[in-house]
Amino acid sequence: MSEKKYWKSFGELNLSESYKKDAENEFREELPMESFDSKGLLDTKTPRRDFLKYLGFSTAAATLAASCEMPVRHVIPYLNKPENMVPGVADYYATTFVSGGDAISIVAKVRDGRPIKLEGNTMSAVTKGGTSARVQASILDLYDTARLRFPVQMVSGVPQEVTSFEAFDKLVSDSMMGQQTGNMVILTPTIISITSKQVITDFLAHYPGSRHIQYDADSFSGMLQANEGSYGKRFIPSYHFNYAKVIVSLGADFLGTWLSPIEFARQYAQGRKIDEKAPAMNRHYQFESFLSLTGANADERFAHKPSESAAVALALLAAVGGSVTAPALPEKLKAGISQAAKDLLANKGKALVVSGSNSIQVQTIVNAINEAIGANGTTISWDATNLTRQGIDADFTALIADMNQGKVSTLLLCDVNPAYDHPDSKNFKSGLAKVKTTVSFSGRLDETTELCKFVLPSPHFLERWGDAQSRTGYISMMQPVIAPLFTTRPFEDSLMSWSGNKTSYDDYFKQYWTGKLGGHEAYEKALQDGVIEPAAEAGTTASGGIADAPSGVKALYNAGSLAQAASAISSLKKGGAYELILYQQVSMGIGSQSNNPWLLELPDPITRATWDNYAMVSPNFIKDQYGIDLSDHNVSDKFESHPERQVIRIKANGIETSIPVVAVPGMPDGVFAIALGYGRQSADPKNTGNYIGRAAVDAGKNVFPLAINNGSTIEWIVPDVSFEKTGDEYKVAQVQIHGSYEGRTSVIKELTLNEFVKEPDDILDDRKKEVAKFGGDNYETEGTLYPYFDKPGIHWGMSIDLNSCVGCGACVVACHAENNVTIVGKNEVLRFHDMHWLRIDRYFTGNLADPDSIETIFQPMLCQHCDNAPCENVCPVSATNHSSEGLNQMAYNRCIGTRYCANNCPFKVRRFNWADYTGADSFPNNQDNQGVGKLNDAVLMMNDDLTRMVLNPDVVVRSRGVMEKCSFCVQRLQDGKLKAKKENRVLTDGDVSTACQQACPTEAIVFGNINNSKSAVVKSRQENEHRLYHVLEELHVLPNISYLAKVRNPESEAKEKV
Amino acid sequence: MSAFRYESQVRPPLVAGDKNYHQITDDIIRPIENRPSKLWWTGFLVSVLLLCFGIFSVTREVIYGTGQWNLNKTIGWAWDITNFVWWIGIGHAGTLISAILLLFRQQWRTGVNRAAEAMTIFAVMCAGQFPIWHMGRVWMFFFVLPYPNTRGALWPNFNSPLLWDVFAVSTYFTVSLLFWYCGLLPDLASIRDRAKLKWRKFFYGVASFGWSGSTKHWQRHEALSLVLAGLATPLVLSVHTIVSFDFATSVVPGWHTTIFPPYFVAGAVFSGFAMVQSLLIITRKVLKLEDYITIEHIDVMNKIIVLTGSIVGIAYLTELFIAWYSMSPYESFAFMQNRVNLLSPYGWAYYIMMGCNVLSPQIFWFRKLRRNITVTFFMSVIVNIGMWFERFVIIVTSIYREYLPSGWSTYYTPTIWEIGFYVGTFGLFFTCYFLFSKFFPVIALAEIKHILKKAGENYKAKMGPEESETNEEFAHEFEHAH
Repeated sequence: MSEKKYWKSFGELNLSESYKKDAENEFREELPMESFDSKGLLDTKTPRRDFLKYLGFSTAAATLAASCEMPVRHVIPYLNKPENMVPGVADYYATTFVSGGDAISIVAKVRDGRPIKLEGNTMSAVTKGGTSARVQASILDLYDTARLRFPVQMVSGVPQEVTSFEAFDKLVSDSMMGQQTGNMVILTPTIISITSKQVITDFLAHYPGSRHIQYDADSFSGMLQANEGSYGKRFIPSYHFNYAKVIVSLGADFLGTWLSPIEFARQYAQGRKIDEKAPAMNRHYQFESFLSLTGANADERFAHKPSESAAVALALLAAVGGSVTAPALPEKLKAGISQAAKDLLANKGKALVVSGSNSIQVQTIVNAINEAIGANGTTISWDATNLTRQGIDADFTALIADMNQGKVSTLLLCDVNPAYDHPDSKNFKSGLAKVKTTVSFSGRLDETTELCKFVLPSPHFLERWGDAQSRTGYISMMQPVIAPLFTTRPFEDSLMSWSGNKTSYDDYFKQYWTGKLGGHEAYEKALQDGVIEPAAEAGTTASGGIADAPSGVKALYNAGSLAQAASAISSLKKGGAYELILYQQVSMGIGSQSNNPWLLELPDPITRATWDNYAMVSPNFIKDQYGIDLSDHNVSDKFESHPERQVIRIKANGIETSIPVVAVPGMPDGVFAIALGYGRQSADPKNTGNYIGRAAVDAGKNVFPLAINNGSTIEWIVPDVSFEKTGDEYKVAQVQIHGSYEGRTSVIKELTLNEFVKEPDDILDDRKKEVAKFGGDNYETEGTLYPYFDKPGIHWGMSIDLNSCVGCGACVVACHAENNVTIVGKNEVLRFHDMHWLRIDRYFTGNLADPDSIETIFQPMLCQHCDNAPCENVCPVSATNHSSEGLNQMAYNRCIGTRYCANNCPFKVRRFNWADYTGADSFPNNQDNQGVGKLNDAVLMMNDDLTRMVLNPDVVVRSRGVMEKCSFCVQRLQDGKLKAKKENRVLTDGDVSTACQQACPTEAIVFGNINNSKSAVVKSRQENEHRLYHVLEELHVLPNISYLAKVRNPESEAKEKV
Repeated sequence: MSAFRYESQVRPPLVAGDKNYHQITDDIIRPIENRPSKLWWTGFLVSVLLLCFGIFSVTREVIYGTGQWNLNKTIGWAWDITNFVWWIGIGHAGTLISAILLLFRQQWRTGVNRAAEAMTIFAVMCAGQFPIWHMGRVWMFFFVLPYPNTRGALWPNFNSPLLWDVFAVSTYFTVSLLFWYCGLLPDLASIRDRAKLKWRKFFYGVASFGWSGSTKHWQRHEALSLVLAGLATPLVLSVHTIVSFDFATSVVPGWHTTIFPPYFVAGAVFSGFAMVQSLLIITRKVLKLEDYITIEHIDVMNKIIVLTGSIVGIAYLTELFIAWYSMSPYESFAFMQNRVNLLSPYGWAYYIMMGCNVLSPQIFWFRKLRRNITVTFFMSVIVNIGMWFERFVIIVTSIYREYLPSGWSTYYTPTIWEIGFYVGTFGLFFTCYFLFSKFFPVIALAEIKHILKKAGENYKAKMGPEESETNEEFAHEFEHAH
């Protein structure tokens, strides 16, 4: 074929000059490349046609350059490394938590010189490693910004620094000069330290006629005096709930706040752990006047008016065969009492009755009941008496009188705060003003201390030496785990130096124990163990089940005081239309840790409210007074979704207090229940933030003044109060507003023991039926369209026993401490912005109008670490993803905060940083926000350099705008894996534990590797197959947390069975 | 009857007022060449003020955190995503008019397509603000883009519907913008050619990309329009489908619903047409364009509104049926308690949605009401309120009380800064729209000229005699033509 060429113009044909020029200039525009092609860049021209080439090259080059590693920055190590200290490796020291008379053996975790976490000491026979919310939170008290930092002299109400201890000693001795030493009084809480007691004894001997008075705000005076009458001993015995098949509690909140809750919760849970092969558990009756944590766990609960509590005890005594006449009581209550009595008598020697009353008469009756049911020497033993409460109310009342009469010239106060926590604080304060020399050894300028003339701050328990004997023969040692942060001195040092003893308390302590234990080695061993205890108690079961009581020491019972007590109770006045009971919360107790944001933000287990106290009332009260019928779900939905609560003014003992009301199912009608421990306030309210603490400002109302001094003891029940509606509303910050689980059985599974015995397969069958259509036994692999991946190696899993969980909240605070979980303050809780990684959901069932029918269940809820996690696939940036070990993990740096994961989490456990709570934000200084989202001062307090010392350096502090949630304490898992790896062995259960698991006093939480058939968590799942379930299993999210269904053991069904 | 009769017997002319080409150019370009009216200035300034308030609200949120909004641990999205979906939905009418109606040769579209497309673009711009600024760490927004980075092989999560949103919305915006601008080219050139002021000549000269009106230009322009229409058509369906995936692929009862994609698209078209009505009724009045945007346009759009409104209504009823039929306690709670129960905390929102979206548009079955401008304007606002509530109902009433009753939320109301953000997007939208109406022809000048000869008095004068001939007469004349 010929190559013909067609031309378009004559110009082209002839290739004229003008054509050539035109052809060249066809595309005139030049890309602006001259700037860099004129020189350099390999001297090449970059014509338009090379544009793509250059673009390609430069993109590739940029990619390559950008993909290079970032420079590594090194931190500077110690110039002179302290001995025995490896930066980044934690040390653990055994010591003791002490608050008032309470003492809990703990182990303090110290990182680079800073204590950052407290764990229970597993060597303690009393707690066996359990802790409480307050113990967990006490680490934060060490770094409290309101701690007094130096000794002061109060000059007309203003603290003036005293520069040295010598100067202070001189000031005090000058002030004491010329006074009669006989008028000197040392006021302390119960002293359980052997050495401290010795120091006090020596001091008293040096000043003849001076006195030592022990004052417990949370007094057990009634029991002490009753026991003196019944047994001739002013002691509190040891209770053994683990030996009891039937437990009757008359208003004693023994799982939450009564006497020794950590110990009791553990014992109690032992009797509630169920062996599937032979299901049995204890039965717990609770007679009480408000819904307590313990009542919430009871199998049979009977609500009554506070004024009836003595009568209930008397009626129970009559019912168990005591020679007393039963008083008149409502029929239902009577029936309950006879049920309980029958059960108690049927289980003689395996039954226990405890009473929370502080009345001598009631406790005398309870002693008689325990005598009748054979508890003395079995479930109650007298060989190791409980020494944590020794204060006698009457002594202190007498002291107030003495002070007011000017009979006291010098008062030394140590860690007591009667100006706040005594009902008669007004008289105490007036008396205090009449004492010439008042010296306080208190860590802060609290209500009492600010009224004293001299204040020598005492160190935090983590900064000092000491010992604590909470039971006879059971001693727990204290050692400092950090050098004192401030100029503080233990009160023992002051007493010693003021009584002419020149040795320091530290030396004294060491000498005493070295001598006592017979040598330095033994002393060091004691410090290392943290406890000195007699050989292990026989018959203590490690795993669970109700054991037979060993033959304990029986106290000789003397019924002499019984008749008098019975007649005193019979002649008690009837209560009025409205009555009041004052109670303690697991978080605040009597308020000694009331500047602790972790505790203030710990939701009350029952009301789930934070940062405040309030009057708990029955739903009927709200209905009658305000026309809000909570049994109508439309009304209750509206009511509960707004935080405003009606405020009433309560009048008792001539004192008025305005307080919001919170309707709680299970509250008897006509009863107000208000928590103690709130409403801290300095004499000048402006000083509260500085003196008591910024977090305590405006937190609730102080109701101690409402309590009654019956002449011999302080009672927390007021049988006749009046109230009026104020018409005001007050916002109560609750973290959970809906109380019913709406019959959603894939959330909560519970059954009765009888049902469980009859139909053990019930739950298993239900689960099987639910997934039958989606693969049945192969639900995991066949319930989805997606491919299944093997899970080799470690796979973390958790099992939570709803039967053991009592809802105490220790795990919640432990999680705060371990994972730097921030607090958000009341304003933000009100906006539902709380950050708890672990929460304890609380649900009620039953008839709102009938308090006895209310049943409560607690469900610890945390990230379920779903293997098919709905949060993971919706994150646009893969900030949350799955580890090869089954963890659902968060890469905080990657998170951009779309919150899609939180929306898609069926368990609602993801927490978003709505504001800059931690000061870790990219925008500095943005916590000054006014208006919407204003942060409470407590949040800013937590950002103080001092408070931030509590942060765990192993855990990232999250900034504003990122999502966070439970990580299964991944830092601990890594640590455990490394430990095993370094020792060249397979990881075992003992290597890892999550913070919540470790804190739990009842061992409700079991955690471990589910791919290891020998691990405890696998065992827990295998042994409890019939109670096992996953929450919302039908969603096929495949949670790695399993729950064991709650089993209740009510009497009514037991009757059917017979 | 003539076989050549072109004018419709049943439809009135698309352009009223017996216009000629010059008049059309004059009518449409006049507002651009004249000084803006006082009304324009007032509207514009109000919009700018709203925009500034919006910027302030967002700035506060960026500095102090998402806590400036009343979202909480249970309700992770509320006004932010409601507004996002609402604005995105509004955009759909523009694309539907410009793309689908172009492909279907619906000639009436030429009267409204320019403004509708502009509305789409501005609505998508407004919509885009919400997913961006709702991020807790908005300065890290680029993490959602698949770009080479120093973090190793770290890609966004292609499983996440939010990522699909990023692609869907950005594609949608790009195509809509191109489409809109492509259509503008001949019109901008017209303005340029008429311009007497130097800056105007320059500005429109640059903006018209050297349009010369050559046949080649026109041919390419038509071809490009068709190609873009082809691209945009699936986008009309895909964008809201993907937006609905944000909900449909989740496990949240009330979100996890397979009916969402078609239902969202229908809802989007529904609300979009309502917005077009609102805008055009004002625009035609203010710019005196009644001859171009006629009552016929309004009528036909009202028909679409009643159609899509009824589709949405059927979707609502289907949801309720499935909630009952599925026997899922969570699903039925979400629908029966959180929504249908009027006395539940957000029951009122469901009934506003039902009333505005399903019941009220039914009045458009009546021709008289369809052609009543006041009623139409009122209804267009009602429909958009209803559609806003639809998204609010879907988002908030599903998540505020879902699986675990312990997580049920306190009552959510927006803060001033949430409202400010929303109001601010109105500011942005209307600022853009006012600028658009001032600087761009609000009616597709070139396109409306295409349809001119097919209707109107002018046409009748020339074609009338021929049309009145019978076929035989015409054939005879044709044969004997010289």
